[in-house]
Amino acid sequence: MKHLPKHLQPRWRYLAVEIETHPKEDISRDAFQTALWQAARALVGDAGSATIGLTVVRFRQYDGGNEAVVRCYRGTVDRARAVIACVDRVGSTPIGVRVRGTSGTIRACEEKYLGRAHVKTEERTVVFDGEERTAVVRPPRVDLREGSTYVGATDLDFQHE
Amino acid sequence: MYEAVRPRDATVSRLALTVGEYGYDGLIVRATPEDLETVTAQAAAVPQPVGIGLELNPTDRQEASGAVGHYRSACDLLLVRGGTPDLNRFAVEDPRVDVLTAPMAKQGDVNHVIAAAAADNGVAIELNLAPVLRASGGRRVQAIRSRRKLIELLEDADAPWVTSADAADHLQMRAPRDLIALGEVIGVGADAIETGLTTWGRLLERSQRRQDPTVIEPGVYHGRPEDRT
Repeated sequence: MKHLPKHLQPRWRYLAVEIETHPKEDISRDAFQTALWQAARALVGDAGSATIGLTVVRFRQYDGGNEAVVRCYRGTVDRARAVIACVDRVGSTPIGVRVRGTSGTIRACEEKYLGRAHVKTEERTVVFDGEERTAVVRPPRVDLREGSTYVGATDLDFQHE
Repeated sequence: MYEAVRPRDATVSRLALTVGEYGYDGLIVRATPEDLETVTAQAAAVPQPVGIGLELNPTDRQEASGAVGHYRSACDLLLVRGGTPDLNRFAVEDPRVDVLTAPMAKQGDVNHVIAAAAADNGVAIELNLAPVLRASGGRRVQAIRSRRKLIELLEDADAPWVTSADAADHLQMRAPRDLIALGEVIGVGADAIETGLTTWGRLLERSQRRQDPTVIEPGVYHGRPEDRT
């Protein structure tokens, strides 16, 4: 199909979104997209969702987290932020999300807010509360294994050892 | 802007790290009488400004009254968890209480009398965004409705309020700008959320001023006037 004349093309804004999970949890682009649409539908309804847009246009996994670029229509950035804040899990995986910033182009969005130097993670045994625990370490973050989930800590919690 | 966190599935330092990254100025840590010591120890190592908020969860007025007297000087902020009209009323009528938390939870409700008492006694009421962020369906609808009602009453009575996402770990935390945007969408207004997030800091300052050993009563200090800033 022939593309629209410039003045009729939709105007987009791109949101750089950081998605944090517990260690070793994988979330896929599709799953995140579904969660986003569900959150939008729950918060602003079908009509509101259509007004905002909210398509995941870039999605990248890195060691210890994910980052995405989410597209919304110009003028709906605040509503898009509100919807993104309401995504508390993807499938059954709890996530933390934050909008790092917004841009007018995908490229500017990626260059300005995404692809920062990522720290390597490693597994280690640490002593916490006088007990030996398995932990996933990504300085300064330390995630202590507890049953099937993790407790978040930092290296500050271990300085006295 | 401050966020009040609950160190359940993350340590204070991890929450403080996230709070810093998300653009808050500091944090209030909600402790319970049982974990007060651990939390205070953890909080001491954190570089950000931290306030210890002891959250009491009494079942009735008698229990609440005893606990308020007992714990007042053990923490920076004294928080009382509401949940029944009687407890809500008790908390806002005692000036030693800093914040009435979760006033709309369970059978709790707030009316103009409670809002006016809160304004008179300088007790802040919490606008807890946890169910808005993490509940769904009917519970969430009711939560949004009750929060709108709460903010309307508080604005009318000119009572102070605080806002919080009530995060139990670093993943439940949300950035201030995101919460402000959410406030606009759920109809409590962006300004209301922003005011609520800043009020934590004001309460912390007030509490530190009151617990300053050189203060005898408001306006009366021990020491030379030129030493005071």
